[in-house]
Amino acid sequence: MIKIQKLKILFLLPIFYFLFTFSAKAAELNLTSQTQTIGVGQQFQVDLALDTKGEDINAVEGKIIFPADLLEIKKINDGNSIINFWIDPVKNCVSNGVKKPDEICFSGIVPGGYNDSKGLIFSITFLAKKEGSGAIKFSGVKVLRNDGKGTPVDVKISNFQFAIKEVGLPKELPEIKDTEPPEDFKPEIAQSPEIFDGKYFLVFATQDKMSGIANYKMREGEWGWFRIAESPYLLKDQDLKSFIYVKAIDKSGNERIAAVKPKYPIKWYESMWIWSIIIAIGMIVAYLGRKILWLKKSK
Amino acid sequence: MFQSSRKYLILFVVPLILFSWSNFVFAAQTGLVQATITITVCGNGVIETGEQCDSFGPVLGGATCISRGFISGTISCQASCDFNTSACVSAPTCGNGSCAGGETCSSCSADCGSCPSSGGGGGGGGGGGGSYVAPVTSVSFVGRAYPKSTVTLLKDAQVAATTIAGADANFSMNISGLSGGNYIFSVYSEDNKGIRSSLLTFPVSVTSGTATNVGGIFITPTIAVDKSEVKRGENIVIFGQSVPNSEMTISINSDEEFFNKIKADAGGAYLLNFDTSVLETGQHNTRSKSSLNGEITSFSKTVGFLVGTKTVFAQLPVKAPAKGDSNSDSRVNIVDFSIAAYWYKRPSPPASIDLNGDKKVDLVDFSIMAYYWTG
Repeated sequence: MIKIQKLKILFLLPIFYFLFTFSAKAAELNLTSQTQTIGVGQQFQVDLALDTKGEDINAVEGKIIFPADLLEIKKINDGNSIINFWIDPVKNCVSNGVKKPDEICFSGIVPGGYNDSKGLIFSITFLAKKEGSGAIKFSGVKVLRNDGKGTPVDVKISNFQFAIKEVGLPKELPEIKDTEPPEDFKPEIAQSPEIFDGKYFLVFATQDKMSGIANYKMREGEWGWFRIAESPYLLKDQDLKSFIYVKAIDKSGNERIAAVKPKYPIKWYESMWIWSIIIAIGMIVAYLGRKILWLKKSK
Repeated sequence: MFQSSRKYLILFVVPLILFSWSNFVFAAQTGLVQATITITVCGNGVIETGEQCDSFGPVLGGATCISRGFISGTISCQASCDFNTSACVSAPTCGNGSCAGGETCSSCSADCGSCPSSGGGGGGGGGGGGSYVAPVTSVSFVGRAYPKSTVTLLKDAQVAATTIAGADANFSMNISGLSGGNYIFSVYSEDNKGIRSSLLTFPVSVTSGTATNVGGIFITPTIAVDKSEVKRGENIVIFGQSVPNSEMTISINSDEEFFNKIKADAGGAYLLNFDTSVLETGQHNTRSKSSLNGEITSFSKTVGFLVGTKTVFAQLPVKAPAKGDSNSDSRVNIVDFSIAAYWYKRPSPPASIDLNGDKKVDLVDFSIMAYYWTG
């Protein structure tokens, strides 16, 4: 009887092992932190990382939910992310126009796919507000295969459990000084019947590996202020005669400006400035001529 | 009792064999499609494959001028991680045209010229000291594409460089001005018929102030078929391009998978005349991979064809990507992404943006676009 039981175990073990190894092939999304003990008033960083477990992945989206009574977001860093283009940049979710303080939404793609175990998606720095315990959890996660069909991949998620205690610990995380500007980039003028009624628009995107891109600002023409802009941007100058400047600003305030030359530069006789200078010179010459004539007459 | 034990033994062994077999198949498949990309870093204080020394330190690996065939002097390491032997002294060889290694006008006038006739010469100048010059942050890429083909490099999904491969299909390119951090690089090429390869993507962690070398890039072969539908029993031609004289493996996916091995010609072109009498009527797919000197590519794009009752000749694949090119410029890039982003979660998107035809633009459409990305 004992022998039969032993054989049963021997029979079941490989089956369980097989099933386990089979299920272990799901991609993994993990929330982890280097901080072991969290004290009240302390800041700590949580990283969201993807381990594809051999799958070729090209799109990720989801939501992170945390107890807003215990935690407050101090900083979100998507600078060193494997995500090349954000569809929904990492920020508080918005529902019916109302910002949700306890939810962070994200959605982005890796063109060409990603297949590795250490894919950082973004990091969040939290401030522990008061004593208590809870979890930073995933919700509505989707990870899609790089197969041309957007097939969903099985995902194993790992939430981050934490406990905040009343202990005297350093309050802020050591700051890594970012003095590097965002990477060089080339904005592109495009046109499509699918958007902006076929009018010209500008697209732009760059990366900042240290702190991430905060925003972009734009200016059309040589004069005026830079104003916050998003890609795609409908150009005001549809004749494409102006220089366009796009300024990428990272979360540490470093800037990189990219210029787009006018496609149809204005001729000198079309420039108001040149005509203004010509008129001004003409007026000066006329004034001086009149003055000389007056002086001659008075002699 | 014995029979019962034997039954259990069979029950134990069968799943074990099944498990081992499934793992074997997985390992074999993984091994077959694994690209052999190697990444080394010049300036990290470690001598890696392809480096003579490392400029950080510098690390010379015990090399001296003497071990490099000189008689004395000081060896150093260049920013490119190659030895700098300019301060090494060669053994004197009078008459070699170089006044070095202790040769003087008196000992070797043939190399050093004749000595001045009257005395009173001035003293010579001192030699300059060497100093460590940190390399700029750069990444170089070395690999194989197709003879004389255009190779495009994408950095974080945007075109960073292009080059033309040599007649032997080898290419190299270098980009600099990078920050330290994680990058996703991709390469693809176009063959002599304008057919694009699939995108070969690899993450690289770049350290500021170092030169990273990415070697062993082997771009997947291109593939096409001469018929979109073939009458069962007739031949279908499967063709494309890879590295000259490489070993091609062509797979025809069916209920049963058929593998055919042929050799690419001196121009890298390959062609297989496949007899379809072994295939069932219905839809089939084919793909290929290439190997040379122990290096192997991933599988190419997959091309479909129908085995039926008539023969329909296929057009050569057009340059335009099958999906995602919403502004019809034969590329899928940031412009198409921006157009799709504009329609994200908006009602009634145009058909050219709604790539899976579900009347909305969501993550699935972006995933399809990311698959067909060209930069």
